[in-house]
Amino acid sequence: MRRVLLGLLLCLLAVPAFAQTPRLETPPPSVPNGPPPSVPPSVSTAPLPDSAIPAAPPDLVMDLSSARVSITSAFQGEKLLLFGMFDPPGEVVVVVQGPPARETVMRKERFLGLWLNTGRQGFDDVPAYYYIAASQPLQRLLARGTGGEILSLADRLASVRSVGSREDSELTRFRIGLTEVKRREGLYPADIGQVTIQANRLFRVDLPFPSRLPEGIYDVRAYLLRDGKIVAAVQRPLPVSKVGFNAQLAGWASRNGEFYGLGAILMALLVGWLGGTIMRRL
Amino acid sequence: MEIYLPIAEQSINVFVLLGLGGMAGLLAGMFGVGGGFLATPMLIFVGIPPAVAVASQANQVIANSVSSLQVQWRRGNVDLRMGLVLLLGGVLGSSAGVVLFTYLKRIGQIDFVIAVLYVVMLSAIGGLMSFESLRTYFRQRRHPEAPRGKLHQHYLVHRLPLKMRFYKSKLYISALLPIGLGFLIGILSAILGVGGGFVLVPAMIYLLGMPTSVVIGTSNFQVLFVAANVTFLQSATNGTVDVVLAVLLILGGVVGAPIGSRLAAKLPGVVLRGLMAVLILAVAAELLVELLRAPSSPYSLGIREVLR
Repeated sequence: MRRVLLGLLLCLLAVPAFAQTPRLETPPPSVPNGPPPSVPPSVSTAPLPDSAIPAAPPDLVMDLSSARVSITSAFQGEKLLLFGMFDPPGEVVVVVQGPPARETVMRKERFLGLWLNTGRQGFDDVPAYYYIAASQPLQRLLARGTGGEILSLADRLASVRSVGSREDSELTRFRIGLTEVKRREGLYPADIGQVTIQANRLFRVDLPFPSRLPEGIYDVRAYLLRDGKIVAAVQRPLPVSKVGFNAQLAGWASRNGEFYGLGAILMALLVGWLGGTIMRRL
Repeated sequence: MEIYLPIAEQSINVFVLLGLGGMAGLLAGMFGVGGGFLATPMLIFVGIPPAVAVASQANQVIANSVSSLQVQWRRGNVDLRMGLVLLLGGVLGSSAGVVLFTYLKRIGQIDFVIAVLYVVMLSAIGGLMSFESLRTYFRQRRHPEAPRGKLHQHYLVHRLPLKMRFYKSKLYISALLPIGLGFLIGILSAILGVGGGFVLVPAMIYLLGMPTSVVIGTSNFQVLFVAANVTFLQSATNGTVDVVLAVLLILGGVVGAPIGSRLAAKLPGVVLRGLMAVLILAVAAELLVELLRAPSSPYSLGIREVLR
């Protein structure tokens, strides 16, 4: 009897400890495809598809305050600082894009007095996240055109392919709906952000990431523009991923749902049984 | 204190979840029902995606029923034979329910169906309960020693074939009845993430005519296995069970349940049922308003498919 009580006492201690594990989890830096944490600042020699970019001098360098976004148990969204230096004169544009995916936009309509989804429209190649920031109003910077390399949020979304065909006016409405939802979720933080320039050659911009952030390799680019032409560009990947306990759980759930389901059942049986026993004895 | 839920993919305050679990536990302790039918809509109110709320709530129901079953089993209040027959229907129903759930999720109507089913169910139950408690209240005031009705009545359903003897429940009824009942509860369980005790218990008493002593235990037995089936299938097909969410709900429930049973011992039954009815009706009204009111934006996003 005494041993039983001792066991129960141990369980009593273990239950809150178990509940706290997610919070105490420290993010071990292990993401398969990501660059090592100490990536040197990207230099403009980075290969870019656009041929308009001169290859030679490092007119532009940038770095991020963190090499990755780690979704830990305490993750509530994050602000990363992007900073760098450029050779004046010129203006700086920064574009951050999340991995593309197919999104389905649903539209609610009133049906017999109730609001329910009646319309749906798929879009391919929708960036999970899109943030563009510039040191000057974008229209002025892009007045001469940049060969489609730099796209404002509206232009980027206008280029998104629709799945199936539909009237143009309807498609536009769904496109606007898509932007609305993404903006609400903080995934398209603003039409245009502000790149701050200091001492005529240092630049910085805050990248806001919300708590509901899709995982994947994000693409961060900075451009140096002179007279509306891109004269230098740097690019680097920014991995966004769950880490530690969260990553393991999510991994199980998606790769091995059966196993995860059994685990969830056992967990509930155990906690329910022990909890019930303990509370009845108190 | 915020915590990031790995499957719901968002952060939420720990105490909100513990509180919701505690409230479900409180109801469980007070009325012997799981409380899932209030916890799931509440989870949706606080912004958990309905698919995750339903699946994780099913996981929580397991813990809830195992701790009540512990007591009921020891007291011999489980009609195992009846439980197994109910379970046969329950497993079939919940499996069908998960398939239906997956389909509704794919066509983007799951949130709507969940809301409508909740409104219908909660207003029916809340209405019946408030009617019943008002009637009891007034009858008690008029004749304190109200005569009891007939214990066992015969309806048309008793003429169904495949009759089976249930010794512990002292019944000789068609097995189709409990199988069908289990099937319906199974579907509810899969789509709404509830154990279904709050429908099952009255159905067992009034429809099957089981003695009240074995109803709670047998219902716990059926609910436990059906919830396990739902958890497994939801996890295997939709991957929407969030164990972090479930653990927090369970821990809240573990603390709430004994408080609930202590409260239940202090307050008179009529008042208790009246309070519960008001609570249920309030949730139903809130859900109904959500359905009727024009949304702030008519647009929402379905499932995001990463192209490989």
